Amino acid sequence: MAGVVLENLSWKKLIILSLILLMLLITFFLIGGLQAPQPNNVNIIIGTKCYARGRYVNREKWHIPRGNKSISCEKLDSLRPDDPKIISQEITDKQVVFAFWIPGPRDGQELKMHPRFQYMMSVLQLDIIYQPHNPVGLNPVMLLDFRLGYRNEGDREGDWKLLAESAEDRKLVCTISTNEKNETEPGSQYDCELLHAFEISSLHHDYYLLNLRLPPSPEKNINIGQIDDISLVTIHQNGGFTIIWFSIKTFMFPCVLIVLVWFWKRIQQMCRPPNLLERTLFALGITMSILNLPIEWLTFWLNIPFMLLLNDIRQGAFYAMLLSFWIIFTGEHIMDQTERNRLKLYWKHLTAVIVGCVCLFVFEMCERGMQLKNPFYSIWSSEIGSKLALAFIILAAVAATAYFLFLCVMIYRVFRNISAKKSSLPSMSHMRKKYYMGLIFRFKFLMLLTLFFFFIISQLSEGQWKWGDENLNLEYSSAFFTGVYGLWNVYIFGLLSLYAPSHKTASSAHADTDSQEEEVQLTNMPSELSTLQSFATKADQD
Amino acid sequence: MTRLDMNTISSGFCILLQFLTFVGGIQWLSLAKMSSLSTIQIPETCDSLVGLVKRQRKICRKNIEIMDSVKNGANNAILECQYQFRNRRWNCSMVETRNIFGNVLKLGTREASFVHALSSAGVAHAVTRACSSGRLTQCGCDRTVSGPSDQGFEWSGCSDNIAFGIAFAKTFVDAREKRKRKNNKNIGRQLMNIHNNQAGRKSIENNMRIECKCHGVSGSCELRTCWRAMPTFREVGSKIKEKFDGATEVKLVYTNTLPRLVPVNPEFKAHTSSDLVYLVASPDFCEPDPKSGSLGTKGRICNKNSKAIDGCDLLCCGRGYESRKKRIVERCYCKFHWCCYVSCQECVREVEEHYCK
Repeated sequence: MAGVVLENLSWKKLIILSLILLMLLITFFLIGGLQAPQPNNVNIIIGTKCYARGRYVNREKWHIPRGNKSISCEKLDSLRPDDPKIISQEITDKQVVFAFWIPGPRDGQELKMHPRFQYMMSVLQLDIIYQPHNPVGLNPVMLLDFRLGYRNEGDREGDWKLLAESAEDRKLVCTISTNEKNETEPGSQYDCELLHAFEISSLHHDYYLLNLRLPPSPEKNINIGQIDDISLVTIHQNGGFTIIWFSIKTFMFPCVLIVLVWFWKRIQQMCRPPNLLERTLFALGITMSILNLPIEWLTFWLNIPFMLLLNDIRQGAFYAMLLSFWIIFTGEHIMDQTERNRLKLYWKHLTAVIVGCVCLFVFEMCERGMQLKNPFYSIWSSEIGSKLALAFIILAAVAATAYFLFLCVMIYRVFRNISAKKSSLPSMSHMRKKYYMGLIFRFKFLMLLTLFFFFIISQLSEGQWKWGDENLNLEYSSAFFTGVYGLWNVYIFGLLSLYAPSHKTASSAHADTDSQEEEVQLTNMPSELSTLQSFATKADQD
Repeated sequence: MTRLDMNTISSGFCILLQFLTFVGGIQWLSLAKMSSLSTIQIPETCDSLVGLVKRQRKICRKNIEIMDSVKNGANNAILECQYQFRNRRWNCSMVETRNIFGNVLKLGTREASFVHALSSAGVAHAVTRACSSGRLTQCGCDRTVSGPSDQGFEWSGCSDNIAFGIAFAKTFVDAREKRKRKNNKNIGRQLMNIHNNQAGRKSIENNMRIECKCHGVSGSCELRTCWRAMPTFREVGSKIKEKFDGATEVKLVYTNTLPRLVPVNPEFKAHTSSDLVYLVASPDFCEPDPKSGSLGTKGRICNKNSKAIDGCDLLCCGRGYESRKKRIVERCYCKFHWCCYVSCQECVREVEEHYCK
């Protein structure tokens, strides 16, 4: 890649551009921090303990925690064996249903879900009280029979329709603390791991109702202690955050697209086919634009359950491309005698990226892809599934480590060659000197820029989750998300504009009689490079 | 010593409004002694409730649906007090319907500070739970967010219910202490109660468990959401008991005519808002004394092998103890289900119990 804009830009212009991008970056943070609410909202709903009358249990019947006496369920205050209602009605575990109406009532009215919330995921939290004669066994398996229904505001009260149902196994892992005498106080509560309940990626109804049964079974739901209560914790994206997030995407999409088009036009103007680095940069711009494409607005009107999956894939594609770009960029600046500019050279490095991404993709499809069919599914709940998931994640981690090592080796080689070149720079001809200095400058600039961005991200993520500091009127995690998103956009924007081929070379201050020749030489880098490199190697050998 | 069982007692309302004189005890706690079958549903009930002051009746009429939770909270507080103090000379025993702990709480003792803190926490805990279970519709949805929040839940969601529970407990429980009084004699006690009420509520807030869930791409922690889960009331009780053990004795001083409480011993570190404070040292509760509300420890079961306060030496105040052998029938080899059902065998065991003389 010859004569890019970055080298030919005057310091003044470079600083102005940097400042503009920096301002843009700060704006992203401030929008997230000051305008947006927290990214997610949490609702904790304690299950209403309903029971079905009679021995015969009708699974199809909805148990509704609130509303008219005629439609709401029969409630129990306690599930303890000594509860008067349980004794008098002879209630068994078969009859008990935990009912959760999502969301709860506030300020005198029922809250409603909204398509803006994008997705809802939920976990179950069990309140199991320690009883000396009925302890929780070693990791017992629970059988949870879920039924999820929905209702809209205009619908008849009690008219709930089925959304999904499934009976799932979950492993119960609980610990309990002991006092200084190494004994557990009666009445203290087990600390149990949260159990995955469901995840739905489209909220097009007003109210949701979850009915949960713990049916008796010969092997499951045994030794799970005395359950006092079950709480459902639901997490959904805040509507305000969604709107601000989409707005940022909508704003960034044309910005990056314009620079991308300009970048490609610049390359077309050159009288040569685009080289590898330029093609990589262009591809990176395309993945960024795909990620920016604000198709999520459609979810406000259409029921698109796969949007969450699609977003994850878009994001994954962008990061895969970014990793590949760093490898190719570094490789193209190694300045050794091998002829570069071929994708084949990087097969080892790119394999690491591809393997890692494919692993994560398969895992994603197994988890979120499956949840499209069955929202209660979790790969972690089955023995084989969790082993498989772990295998994929380990494989991805190995690939990531391999990638990192490759990158480090490459960067080391570049720096070694840079110092070698620097020592021989004075003895070089003017043109060669300029070529190498440009190469070194470009590399160091990107290196610094990337490190600077990583520094910002690491600083931000450290403080990402803090309770307290309430007097600080800043939504930190929102600022973090919009900030990091803006950061990558600014990064790509900067790369596309600064690393585009320059047409200034011809009319620059150096322009004299041999400028024409110089340009020809610079643009024909692949073949030129090898001759230069043979020169350089000779010089090195000397 | 009579320990009254909450569930069996069903005392009717004391409809005759008695002339309310200022007593340090928490009379609204007698809500707990209402029959477990009767619920507070119509505002008129508020006037017949025993132990509420005028301001509390007003709150009751306005928030009638919350009053059942207040009742539950009071009930839980008494049970928890009895659990935490089961081994102490004063074991939180109740003596009468209206002034349920007798005269023990009349003075600003440590025990009084504990009961105030626990009952305030009890109300906050019960109201928060009722809000979360959807039983109450009035629970507030406030969330201090910057930016446009006029769209409420749709824009920025709702805060967790603990904020509402604590705010309600503060309004209701502190209402007693906000009464205007002609003489300033009890200003110290008022300050002490308000402080301890707050300390009780703080012990919930300071012990909230933080739970997190990662839900980024492929379930990574790129996106992580955390929330606060309320501790069990047993945990809250234990924390307040810890505060009880380290309570600070304070005295009333005036700085620029502004009354405030400072530690009696100036060398001690000043108490924080979550510490308990008391004004007078407790009696030893060894002998029955109607004036201080002490029932004495005669007839209490003690632990022969313990050197602590539940040991026979300390609990019986050196009066000695007598031992009796007793056969008890216990449930054993029980088979439990997670709900509702238990099948046990009966085992007979002989135990030796020691009673204070």
